[in-house]
Amino acid sequence: MERLKILPFVLILVVVISSEGLWRGTHMPVSVGVALAQENWLQEFNDICAKTQETTILSSDDLKNLIARCDTLKPLIDKLPETQRKVYLKRLQNCRDFFVFALESKSDK
Amino acid sequence: MKKTLCILFLLVIFAPLVFAQVGVKKKRPLPFEYGRVVIKNYSAKANMPPVVFDHWLHRAKFTCRLCHVDLGFGMKAGTTEIKAADNIGGYYCGTCHNGRTTINGKKMFESCSKTGGADDKARCLRCHSLGQNIKPEYDFKTFTQNLPKERYGNGINWEKAEHDKLISPIDFIEGVSIKRKPLTAQKDFDVAPTIEGMPDIIFSHQKHTVWSGCELCHPEIFPKVKRTQIKFTMNENFEGKYCGVCHTTVAFPMTDCQRCHSKPV
Repeated sequence: MERLKILPFVLILVVVISSEGLWRGTHMPVSVGVALAQENWLQEFNDICAKTQETTILSSDDLKNLIARCDTLKPLIDKLPETQRKVYLKRLQNCRDFFVFALESKSDK
Repeated sequence: MKKTLCILFLLVIFAPLVFAQVGVKKKRPLPFEYGRVVIKNYSAKANMPPVVFDHWLHRAKFTCRLCHVDLGFGMKAGTTEIKAADNIGGYYCGTCHNGRTTINGKKMFESCSKTGGADDKARCLRCHSLGQNIKPEYDFKTFTQNLPKERYGNGINWEKAEHDKLISPIDFIEGVSIKRKPLTAQKDFDVAPTIEGMPDIIFSHQKHTVWSGCELCHPEIFPKVKRTQIKFTMNENFEGKYCGVCHTTVAFPMTDCQRCHSKPV
């Protein structure tokens, strides 16, 4: 929870550092790149798993696309620290399994 | 000769006990024990008593989905393999039990801490309480005295309790849960029983999705969607499969036949 409260400040810091880097004509620091990548995985995870309650209105192609996005996201989550990895891999697997289930259900009908 | 006869006599007496692998009657848990989970993956290693988790308190406050989907708790006891470090990091129990989060106006105690000093012992024992003489903060009888009663399980009709707005399980934790579109209501359907003469089961998707969402049951517990493809027996249920994953452990038990076999004959 506390981490989320400081999230806006972290993002502002990232923007400031990166714009400073651009202004000086240097590349973005690696740590900032990692932070951005980490935010991206969570955003992508939230986007994907938010769809589990919409599967009845999604097409087979939509579901296939979601499954593919799960597979793309998994290697990023694999790189996270132990606990975060354990929790989010399970959550991602639940979402993926449910999309596969929904896809198979559609093709059964 | 006498010795041989004696051995034979003892064998005749005790052999049936040795081979009696079935037919041992399980003790029916008391209402406050129903749904209890003992977590002991790493306790002994940490020189701590195992954790005793009472479902009744948490299910009155949170949906099944919140803990088993959003927080990632497994559906079988011991499968999550929670470590103190996980809780300290703000996951599993530590998502709420972090000494900061407030739920229903009450600050949640910290589940595990890095220090582990003598002052922490009383707090540790709130959860690590198996075999300890600990007075819980919430007394089952007091907590449930105004809730509608049932015959089995916790002796509480949780569904009616929510319907009557006596409990309001939380289904969303900011920063952990994902904002989703409301679930499209699924129709109830009948399931024909395998035993002739039993009333049909009326399965309510709506009742189940309110607390469990979709991915809690599918595909892990119910892998196929076509009703004709799902063939399972009561014995399998009693073994803890299918409906029995929850309805032998936490949700009302299947000894309460009429709650599922409810279609008027």
